[in-house]
Amino acid sequence: MRTHILLASFALFFLIACMGFPAFAEEGVTDTEIHIGQWGPQTGPAAAWGSVARGTGVLFEMINEKGGIHGRKIIYHTFNDAYNPAQTLAGVKQLQESVGIFAWVGGVGTAPGMAVKDYLMERKVPWISPASGSMHWIDPPQKYLFATYPLYKMEAKALCRYSVEILGKNRIAIAYQNDDYGANGLKGAKEELAKHGLTLVAQVPVDTGEGDLRPHAAKLKQSDADTVLLWVAPKHAIALLGAAKAMKYDPQWMSTSTCSDYPYLYDISKGLWEGVITTFFGDGPDSFGPLMREYKAAYDKFAAPGERWGTFFTAGFGFAEPLVEALHRCGRDLSRERLVEELEKLQYFRGVMGRISFAPFDPDDPMCRQGQTEVFIAKCVEDGDMVQLTDWLKID
Amino acid sequence: MDMERDHYEDVAFFTSRLGVFWFVILASGLLLFPFIASNYLKTYYIYVANCIAVNVIAAIGLNLLVGCTGQISLGHAGFFAAGAYATAALTGKLGAPFLPALLIAASLSALLGFLLGLPALRLEGPYLSIATLGFGLTITQIIGKIQYLGARQGLHAPDLVIGPFNLNSDAEKYYLFAAMAFAACLFARNLMKTRVGRAFIAIRDSDVAASTMGVNLMIYKTLAFAVSAFFAGLAGGLYAFVLGYIQPDTFNLLMSIMFLAMIVVGGLGSISGAVAGAVLLTWLDLTLRNVLDVPVLGDWLKSLSQSYFSITGVSNIQYIVFGSIMVLIMLFEPLGLHGIWLRTRQYWKARSDRGRRG
Amino acid sequence: MLNGVAAGSGYALMGIAMVIIYKTSEVVNFAQGEMALASVFFTYLILQNYGIPFVYAMPLAALFAVFVGCVLEFAVLRRARRQTTLGMIIVTIGLEMILMGLVSWKFGADHKVMPFPITEFDSIWLGGFYVTTLEAVTFSVVWAVMLGLFVFYRYTRLGLIMKATQQNRSAAKLMGVRTNRVLMFTWGLSSLVGCIAGLLLAPRSMEPFMMWDPMLKGFAGAVVGGMTSIPGAVFGAYFIGVVENLFGRYASMEFKSAVAFALIVIVLCVKPSGIFSRHYVKKV
Repeated sequence: MRTHILLASFALFFLIACMGFPAFAEEGVTDTEIHIGQWGPQTGPAAAWGSVARGTGVLFEMINEKGGIHGRKIIYHTFNDAYNPAQTLAGVKQLQESVGIFAWVGGVGTAPGMAVKDYLMERKVPWISPASGSMHWIDPPQKYLFATYPLYKMEAKALCRYSVEILGKNRIAIAYQNDDYGANGLKGAKEELAKHGLTLVAQVPVDTGEGDLRPHAAKLKQSDADTVLLWVAPKHAIALLGAAKAMKYDPQWMSTSTCSDYPYLYDISKGLWEGVITTFFGDGPDSFGPLMREYKAAYDKFAAPGERWGTFFTAGFGFAEPLVEALHRCGRDLSRERLVEELEKLQYFRGVMGRISFAPFDPDDPMCRQGQTEVFIAKCVEDGDMVQLTDWLKID
Repeated sequence: MDMERDHYEDVAFFTSRLGVFWFVILASGLLLFPFIASNYLKTYYIYVANCIAVNVIAAIGLNLLVGCTGQISLGHAGFFAAGAYATAALTGKLGAPFLPALLIAASLSALLGFLLGLPALRLEGPYLSIATLGFGLTITQIIGKIQYLGARQGLHAPDLVIGPFNLNSDAEKYYLFAAMAFAACLFARNLMKTRVGRAFIAIRDSDVAASTMGVNLMIYKTLAFAVSAFFAGLAGGLYAFVLGYIQPDTFNLLMSIMFLAMIVVGGLGSISGAVAGAVLLTWLDLTLRNVLDVPVLGDWLKSLSQSYFSITGVSNIQYIVFGSIMVLIMLFEPLGLHGIWLRTRQYWKARSDRGRRG
Repeated sequence: MLNGVAAGSGYALMGIAMVIIYKTSEVVNFAQGEMALASVFFTYLILQNYGIPFVYAMPLAALFAVFVGCVLEFAVLRRARRQTTLGMIIVTIGLEMILMGLVSWKFGADHKVMPFPITEFDSIWLGGFYVTTLEAVTFSVVWAVMLGLFVFYRYTRLGLIMKATQQNRSAAKLMGVRTNRVLMFTWGLSSLVGCIAGLLLAPRSMEPFMMWDPMLKGFAGAVVGGMTSIPGAVFGAYFIGVVENLFGRYASMEFKSAVAFALIVIVLCVKPSGIFSRHYVKKV
């Protein structure tokens, strides 16, 4: 009997405690701080992409050193989700509810991002630049979700157009990763080739965990393609090139911005990467724009020892640029609604990525939330140097 | 041991008044958890609890197969995926109500389990593990090919609606999931006390002996697979609604290995062990990323990485801690968490007995 | 076909390594791949950071591999002997996570380039197919290892002792064999074979996850071959390599691994203990 009374009183106590919960002004912003969050895989098979989140961190340190944004320092919260959606959602919820994040930036991967999308959108938390080029972000468009990463489809279209119109190739094949990334590339290539009255001469799927690329290379060789699009992860791209080389098969290789880290790929492929054509969605790490040089200085100063100055790392800077720009434009009076307004007003904003423009929210127009629609094409030459082949191309 | 006079005594829910007391405490704790969590902690903890509930169901199911029947499966992520996809597709694409959809999905999963159980009739040990591993691999490949299920682009789960209730928040889902997990425990517990359960155990201990005693191996081995797959399918169906979005790659070999680790770390063959293992490993999996924020240890680990390892790879400490916990538990307590519990109970009993005598 | 044999060679070495351990102690060693990984990265470290010439680095790597195997057996597996078979699997999975964590903690996730004297890009034209030098070397290494192990088990005293321990541990113990030491040595030996496999795979791609796929395929191959027979493991590995390559080339690339596994299941249904092992009828 006594336990019953005890329990009943416990229950009553909690019920009382449930009531009265304070409401606050704007989550994640104080007079001196703005809390920004990002997730990224630091362990597991996708860990190479972890440098995106670390790059963003260096950008924020650079901004804070200069005094922050309108007197507020950026407090950056990042965590490792190991590319596991369940862990992404766990980490996002924890940070959102314990620290209170003002806005999220970047975030590698389609599956992890999709796990948290609904949660963030329900709470009206802005999320800028998911770090993957998926249609899921903009279709249907969300008021608080701003995508900048050019769609994988666009990159495929750009490459196909270039190879057919400029290089005069007509036997085009694709090796694509068996996921959202690869599927979008495949779709884009098919659509663009159909416009030229061509079809893919071979479509070779590559599993994410694949270790042996010889059959894939053999299949590509069999198709006798003169151009091969590599819609795969860097390690698979290299393995395919190696296997094809051993089979004395040497088509024009083309790949995506995911494989545009020339010095690195040149190095780990022992020079095979020379001659490969890829798209770029931002300036290369070793380009000599003033902004990129500033970032390089920040890298020298803040980056952890052993950090590599590569494309993923600088992409981490690039993804955060629209957010930083909009925060600057908001001024002292910062709220999420203001941030969204300012982001919508961005027109041809140019940082180290291509030009970024958003439009006021329109539920019927996905492109109002797709910031960047242009890429350029470049070629890897000796020592992993880059030669730009085209200007920025706008692809619809 | 007391003599039992009646089967009902065996399956009776409570064996003593102390049991009633603890059950009430536990149940009210579980019931009140969302209130406590959302006010004093965060709804984040409710989410973690939901993940735990899902894994508890899957672990209990796997335990019926591995712990009780002595078969091994490295392909449970496959059943999990089948359940998740079937539930999401039935509710989202065909507009079926949630509970029937979940049951159909779990039954479908059970059917797959039955089919996989057929080759398992002739296999055991590493041979069976490779066969089941191949199954897990194939299922995700097949799903990845089906455009209707979103192929590689993944599939959305709709809102969770049961009758008039729309379970949107984690707390609302929590009640459903916790009830399901509880029902799963109860079902497994009672199943083990029926003819079927005894047949399972006989097969585990020696299948040749069991068959000479009149246990039909073909029926019971495939049944074990089917029941276990049913649980996994059920868990998968719930998982789709925890995340709201599923993709074939999520259901990989690592997931199967995690399920297996849960029941072994918890203690093979015991339901409370499976629950404990699922709770511990899920919790570790979801919270170990914070290991670097632990006050003293975190700083020490950081400085260690600075001087001997690399800062960029510092998160890998998670793996090391996770692996170490698994190895240590297995080294010091072969029966896993369940063994630790048995030993503690024994210790206190012995103490109180001594006290009474002295 | 030849491509399949080439791919199979890598798996074969991993399969042999797993068989060596399973034969003696009935432990399915999931840490096999990561043990090899540790040795490979150790080799990389001494080559890259300490500038030791390749000729000296190889014996050092071999020593290190044996050391890793022995230490793991001594420090962990020996303590866990009360465990069930499944418990042992979980222990090795735990070890796998620890080793993988240590390697990626030290070296990060980026790919590395192993300075290796044999290039994987040069190839020889062989009856309608190209075979790279590396593949040819790997292929001959597999046969050399197989032959070496055969001679070792057949003609050396230690080999005989190991065989005796496999057949009946308590009897061997009664005959004065120090079975603990034999087990430790078994792990060392298996780690060494794994290390060779790792070194031959490293020029292709070197990152913390490089051994996962070869290990699983090697394990599958070993299972087809019967898990206790070394030639069986080699045969099984070639079987997988060939099936994957042929099916991938002429039918569907996506389902090549799935089909390989399905074939394994069919083979196992016909011969439940694999092709190369005698089927024991269990005693009740």
